[in-house]
Amino acid sequence: MPIADRLTARKAIIERVRGLGRKVVAVLPFHYPRALLRAYRLHPIEVWGPPNVPRDKGSQHFQAYTCDIVLKATSFLLRGGMDPVDAILVPHTCDALQGMASVTADFLKPRQPVLTLYLPRGCRDSDRAFLIAELRRLAGCCAEISGHKPNEADWAEAFAAEEAADRALASLYQRRPRLALSDRDFYTAVRSREFLTAEDFGELAASLPEGDPPADGVGLMLSGIVAEPLELFDRINEMGAHVVADDLACGYRRVYPPAAESDPFARIAAQLLACPPDPTRGSPIEQRVAALRSRMRESGAQGLLIYDVKFCEPELFDIPLLRKHLAAAGLPVLHVEFEMGMTVSRQVLTRIEAFVETLQ
Amino acid sequence: MSKPEVVAIGTDAGSTTCKLVAVGQGGEVLGSRLEATQPHIELQVGELLGQLRSELGVDGPVPCVATGYGRKLVKDATRSVTEITCHARGVFRDLGHGGTLVDIGGQDSKVIRLGNNGKPVDFMMNDKCAAGTGRFLEYTSARLGVPIDELGRRALSTDREEPITSTCTVFAESEIISLLARGVALEAILRGLHRALVGRIVAMVHNVGLTPPLMLSGGVAHNEAVRALIEEATGERVLLPREPQLMGAYGAALLGTEGKSAA
Repeated sequence: MPIADRLTARKAIIERVRGLGRKVVAVLPFHYPRALLRAYRLHPIEVWGPPNVPRDKGSQHFQAYTCDIVLKATSFLLRGGMDPVDAILVPHTCDALQGMASVTADFLKPRQPVLTLYLPRGCRDSDRAFLIAELRRLAGCCAEISGHKPNEADWAEAFAAEEAADRALASLYQRRPRLALSDRDFYTAVRSREFLTAEDFGELAASLPEGDPPADGVGLMLSGIVAEPLELFDRINEMGAHVVADDLACGYRRVYPPAAESDPFARIAAQLLACPPDPTRGSPIEQRVAALRSRMRESGAQGLLIYDVKFCEPELFDIPLLRKHLAAAGLPVLHVEFEMGMTVSRQVLTRIEAFVETLQ
Repeated sequence: MSKPEVVAIGTDAGSTTCKLVAVGQGGEVLGSRLEATQPHIELQVGELLGQLRSELGVDGPVPCVATGYGRKLVKDATRSVTEITCHARGVFRDLGHGGTLVDIGGQDSKVIRLGNNGKPVDFMMNDKCAAGTGRFLEYTSARLGVPIDELGRRALSTDREEPITSTCTVFAESEIISLLARGVALEAILRGLHRALVGRIVAMVHNVGLTPPLMLSGGVAHNEAVRALIEEATGERVLLPREPQLMGAYGAALLGTEGKSAA
């Protein structure tokens, strides 16, 4: 049975977590403190577009060169898609998302409060201190929404649950070569973390069968924010290739390592700052290149496919240097941009197919 | 003397023209077809294939490799391969060396860096916008009333050049109308138009990295102004294969011979 058929629908999850006494927060991509939300009795449901929503209503509020994630999420909000949630959290992943937070709060004025989380662009002590202060500020907003202030036991329970789910995600990636899952099923499972509870995600991850992976051929590593639509994976498989690793914001970039700090805010900050390097956090190019090289080598990836949502500035800034350094290391790179929709364009597929042919 | 045996057929179902090439055991071209693409490309290819097989006396099955934007629609194809690989293979076979290949087609343009073994090492495609493709020239030739095969010669017939600043084909048309209304000579406009197209191509060449020699394939390779202005902009002589427009289909046919002696 395809993994998608095993997943509980978001509406049913919202009802269930409400039954557990939690309120629901729509969260835009992509770094945010899950344990904090849980300790404050909030449940995140992430919004990455969605791809099937028209851009029209979002386009009325942003420049033509704004990415589809922001345009479609705004359309989704204005079409009532976020009506069931109690708050909207927009992390400062990029200027476009920061702009969305401002436009939404100041002009669109939904009934739900719009929360922000300003993420630092570095890992210095000052960045850590800034992030801790931001998390404390966000916690104050969360307390107002849920009416709950966590005690020590709440924090302990939240860390135990969310860190177990983080470990389950890390384990999924470690077990990837042994999982009898298509690329589409693997990424459906990974991305179910965007809306499932930590417990449900852990259970799903543990239940995935091991055996011979169905896909074979040229191994690709995928980089970017999000690989949409999931049909992309089927098309890649048809070309005689498969995805052996990723550097996706909706995937491996959120494999957060555990931290040991006793203060909950310091602990969350340490986790958020220790995840794999990515351009939205201002990671130095040397760190990104080293991480990509190492993961490509370990996974046996023969080429890097950078699959970017059109107009995604943080990703685009790094492309020339990534191409240069990886080419110097003998690692082929293809960069394609896509517009988020329900199908992958023929032009994009032709480029990927040609890239696969050069690697065969 | 018996007819040489057809070993494979390549089909390039492009956006503007549909091309077929049949090759023999040694990779030599035994026959070809080229005509404007029709709306029902699958029927058109089937018909052209029938004609070619009949002309060359092909009775039994032979590998048929399809390329071009309509490659997935070719029902008789035993395999489909992208234009990038096919053009690379065809040009490498015809010219015998690696380098940088520019293929300007009707709907897209590509710059392909070829290794010394003829395999594409890197490539870049412009397929989002008509500017920088054959469509740009087709569109403006229709607007100016100049036959497409005269565009290059007319553009080179003057030293005067009127810069075209619009990067979009549709806006360029408006600009042309304004220039004509101001009484600017047609040849100077044509030269400016070619310069604009070549500017886009050369930017792609530099993005991929220019490894000499520079080679040109696709229908636009017949345009002498495009060749001359690319040479001027890059400082490299442009080499042409014998049949630039057939290189995709030829490369596809060569790929069809894989496992036999021709490829």
